[in-house]
Amino acid sequence: MYPAPFEYLRPSTLDEALALLSSHGEDAKLLAGGHSLIPAMKLRLARPRFVVDIGRVSNLRYIREREGQIAVGAMTTHHDIEASDLLKERCPLLPEAAAQIGDVQVRNRGTIGGSLVHADPAADWPAAILALEAEIELAGPGGRRVVRADAFFVDLLQTAAASNEILCEIRVPATSRAVAYEKTQQKASGFAIAGVAVVVQGAENVRVGVTGVAAAPYRARAAEAALAAGAPGAEAIARAAARVGDGIQALGDIHASPEFRLHLAAVNAKRALTRALSL
Amino acid sequence: MKFATGAAIAAPRERVFAALVSPDVLQRCIPGCEELTDAGNDIYKATIKIGMAGLHGIYAGTASLRDRVPPESFTLGFEGKGSAGFARGTARLRLDADGDGTRVTCNADVQVGGVIAAVGSRLVEAAARKLAGDFFRQLAIETNP
Repeated sequence: MYPAPFEYLRPSTLDEALALLSSHGEDAKLLAGGHSLIPAMKLRLARPRFVVDIGRVSNLRYIREREGQIAVGAMTTHHDIEASDLLKERCPLLPEAAAQIGDVQVRNRGTIGGSLVHADPAADWPAAILALEAEIELAGPGGRRVVRADAFFVDLLQTAAASNEILCEIRVPATSRAVAYEKTQQKASGFAIAGVAVVVQGAENVRVGVTGVAAAPYRARAAEAALAAGAPGAEAIARAAARVGDGIQALGDIHASPEFRLHLAAVNAKRALTRALSL
Repeated sequence: MKFATGAAIAAPRERVFAALVSPDVLQRCIPGCEELTDAGNDIYKATIKIGMAGLHGIYAGTASLRDRVPPESFTLGFEGKGSAGFARGTARLRLDADGDGTRVTCNADVQVGGVIAAVGSRLVEAAARKLAGDFFRQLAIETNP
């Protein structure tokens, strides 16, 4: 399968990349790790006239701690994150989620920034990013802006990032070890049929992010509220897990009906809450 | 794929029905509809550009209106094809009075084929729901006096 003809552009700085996006508009598409774009192009589902490869833009691939937050460059691969000693120590949810993405080939090439802007409803990162209340920094022609995780995911394959903006950095807080990511995966692709990430920052502050269930990933605020309302324990966890799909229109496909997806979300929520709260 | 959707529209049934069978209004409501012409005998021809996250496709197709019972219901048969595959099917639309407004219910049965069915089936229903949501949002604006 061959892609439709396109022109390959390889900027070496972020400013050059932004200028190319601005001048080519809708005809241009950014290439990061290529694990969603290249298959879509080979199947001719995507036919960009210009492919702007940001693989050689320096300074987009790093993991470093800064003022109590950990900053991750957009072109950092899933494997970089999985293997990062800093993250294992300071924000263990990211390496845990990274290890569950696709297979080793995907993790070696795919990037966190590429995955986030593609916004596949079954991607793993969004659950963790939402539960961590990450900040997402976008660079555009007018400068940089920061979007909170819960405002970033808009709809199916749609984020707050405009077509002339580039996601450059993800910032997450340092957390305790009381985190967990549990998912049921589609056997062939590893995509999440239902994935639930939990971050416990003190007894009053448990955050739950859900992916794979709806057109866009979401914070399960009803579950969080149910957990905060009662005394801690297995019963409170079960009550909270049962509300993980409250108000959500679940997706259905050949892998799982909407009802089954919601069931799996509750099962994974219970597992993730139980594990995170026992740490 | 069987697929049910709908929306509450704050306008009387007669106005909603008239909007749903008007080529001009439909063209403005269908997301990415570049052209919609009345070919006579309740048949419409349309060109629709569907684009999400850089996955753009242009689809050309026809739709025919059947079983027209104003202002209660009608059936839309449609088929279209584009670079990434084809879709054909029927959609039964029912309009129920709901106070001063109208409850529109759509039950569709769609067959999707080609590349889009082979690799995109995971996303087809979600994409259809998103497009339907956009359609009904615009319909609410169009029928607002």
